[in-house]
Amino acid sequence: MRVMVLVKADENSEAGALPDEKTLTEMGKFNEELVRAGVMLAGEGIQASSKGARVRFGKGTKPTVFDGPFTEAKELIAGFWLWQVKSMEEAIEWLKRAPFQDTEVEIRPVFESTDFAPSDPTGELMAAEERLRAQSEQLNKAARR
Amino acid sequence: MRFMMLMIPKGYEIAEPGTMPDAKAVAAMMKYNESLQQAGVLLALDGLHPPSMGARVSFPGGKPKVTDGPFSEAKEVVGGYWMIQVKSKEEAIEWAKRCPGSETEVIEVRQVQEMSDFPPDVAEAAAGFADLQAQSGQSKGS
Repeated sequence: MRVMVLVKADENSEAGALPDEKTLTEMGKFNEELVRAGVMLAGEGIQASSKGARVRFGKGTKPTVFDGPFTEAKELIAGFWLWQVKSMEEAIEWLKRAPFQDTEVEIRPVFESTDFAPSDPTGELMAAEERLRAQSEQLNKAARR
Repeated sequence: MRFMMLMIPKGYEIAEPGTMPDAKAVAAMMKYNESLQQAGVLLALDGLHPPSMGARVSFPGGKPKVTDGPFSEAKEVVGGYWMIQVKSKEEAIEWAKRCPGSETEVIEVRQVQEMSDFPPDVAEAAAGFADLQAQSGQSKGS
């Protein structure tokens, strides 16, 4: 199964402060362990919400755009990982070893196309999604070059 | 530049384990996903099971403490995301506006940190990360 690990923003990340060298080094070591164990699928840092926007959808009206920062939001995201694990327990064990201090990190299992089998008896939806993913992966590789 | 579009569906914070999206909504979303794909902007996308199937790990004083979902204090939670490659924040917002969202849904558009955003000393300390990402290969699970 895959899980998404959501790292929360704090005052520092929202102020656009970058992690110090010690934090980066510790996190780098942890990331290396994840890669060596074949757990790491992806990981990214997200810029402060002041550089972002929110789009709210109405009923029969055009979507409304709000510029960041989102000061009313209690829980903003500052980064994430995607991990390949055998169970939630394994994901929790990995996360417990992460070099964090005084913060809270969320683990959420990801929907796999097989989860939709009951509402996709012909498998049409699953096939369409597989195609989409294969094409996106190619683009992803190109974007990183 | 890369942007993450975070789907925040109101009510998902209290959804029961095993809650599935409505088939009609999935079909509409699939069309939207295909339009992102055809425009060559879609890098990755995923849906997340409700928080009642997840867990949170906090680190009081550096010691991990596990709390099972749902998370009663959470007012809004992420239900899924798209990673897109576009030329500007405006283009990212235009894509978010085209999503077949319902009145209970909000999309948060956030820019992803690139190595080029970091000053030289930080970039050096984080230099191995690009290699790590290449090794992890963004491979998909099963």
